Amino acid sequence: MKYSTFSLADNDQLKEPMFFGRPVNVARYDQQKYPIFEKLIEKQLSFFWRPEEVDVSQDRSDYRNLPEHEKHIFISNLKYQTLLDSIQGRSPNVAFLPLVSIPELETWIETWSFSETIHSRSYTHIIRNIVNDPAVVFDDIMRNQHIIERATDISKHYDDLIQYTLLYTKLGAGTHTVNGETHQVNLFELKRKLYLCMMSVNVLEAIRFYVSFACSFAFAERRLMEGNAKIIRLIARDEALHLTGTQHIINIMQEGKDDPEMAEVARSCREESIEIFRHAAQQEKEWAEYLFRDGSMIGLNKGILDQYIEYITNHRMDAVGLEPIFEKATQNPIPWINAWLVSDNVQVAPQEVEVSSYLVGQIDSEISADDLGDFEL
Amino acid sequence: MKKAIQVSTEELAFQLAPSETLLEGLERTGHQVEYQCRSGYCGSCRVTLHSGSVHYETTPLAHLNKNEILPCCCRPLEPIEVSIGLKVKAKKSA
Repeated sequence: MKYSTFSLADNDQLKEPMFFGRPVNVARYDQQKYPIFEKLIEKQLSFFWRPEEVDVSQDRSDYRNLPEHEKHIFISNLKYQTLLDSIQGRSPNVAFLPLVSIPELETWIETWSFSETIHSRSYTHIIRNIVNDPAVVFDDIMRNQHIIERATDISKHYDDLIQYTLLYTKLGAGTHTVNGETHQVNLFELKRKLYLCMMSVNVLEAIRFYVSFACSFAFAERRLMEGNAKIIRLIARDEALHLTGTQHIINIMQEGKDDPEMAEVARSCREESIEIFRHAAQQEKEWAEYLFRDGSMIGLNKGILDQYIEYITNHRMDAVGLEPIFEKATQNPIPWINAWLVSDNVQVAPQEVEVSSYLVGQIDSEISADDLGDFEL
Repeated sequence: MKKAIQVSTEELAFQLAPSETLLEGLERTGHQVEYQCRSGYCGSCRVTLHSGSVHYETTPLAHLNKNEILPCCCRPLEPIEVSIGLKVKAKKSA
């Protein structure tokens, strides 16, 4: 498995597995092994938005009038989201692209990652508007231990996979000593690292974002920081789609449909996958504690947020075939959040109402005889 | 003309009106059903179907295991039985 930016093998792409087959050569979408990725690409493209379309000017005075402990909640969440999207804007490309073997998945990963860069740009848009010197906010991300702790856990699986891929592609299977360090390298272990990385990304998009989302919408329920909430709704819409993407990848792997060994890999990673969920839920609870250290906000406190974390953790685990780990968390403690997460009719600038699910340039060109059945001459 | 269809859940049975989606029907009757996109791509509302069958106008993007359906965008074709309970509050008042 040697990576090439244009593999010269005249292969049938429909026979390649998602990962670890031959590198993709021709980027063609007339035929797809997994049409779902093509559909995800189209949906993501139809979701395209620009941060500048959203008017956040009212947020500036809202922010100025927030009590100090609520400013802390608001800004800390923005810092955390900036961190998450800094990682997501590049890592899927760096880690997954060298391993992908089908064009529709390759392009989905690129499209997915690109949309995360829009999210990053939107944080700059929000922060630039509410504080005089954005550097004060951005600089603190690298100096704030509460954020850095999370960064390590989130990037660890990506880094592991990237390093191991380098060893495998350069040296192949076997025992290798590089710079005095001995590595056992084999394809099964590489597949395990890919699977665990995908699970950790799934957790990132399924759980880690939602604590911030909840806080943003709790402000907006009080008609505060509404520009920010509009942007968060657009981000949440994208994240829901990304989550569907990783859920598909994980489920295809578990079924071992195109690579039977992947099913075995998935089984061998089951306990570790559960631990990734458990650990992330725990970390998010600690984050909630940090957010509310100087006081809760109206409508939301650490207890409620903890219950919500447990509830969505269960829900997301179920979607990737894992048993829920929090027995009591069967009810959503903040059901109002869903009304905010429905992103249709997101009004961006006051003068222009835009239905956010409006599909740009999407036409259904298939017509069957039945479609004309009601016509009479 | 479409007719109302019988929907049975873990705790009750109700008639799904022709004008409402299964998700709306479950919400109207106080079920603990999760949702987000309401258009088939997020998969939040997925529930297990025990009997009966459903139809989709367009195939939803969300991942579905065998026996799972998306109440936001499916249309029951016959009486169905799904695995979902009521909200705690609704249970108390019931």
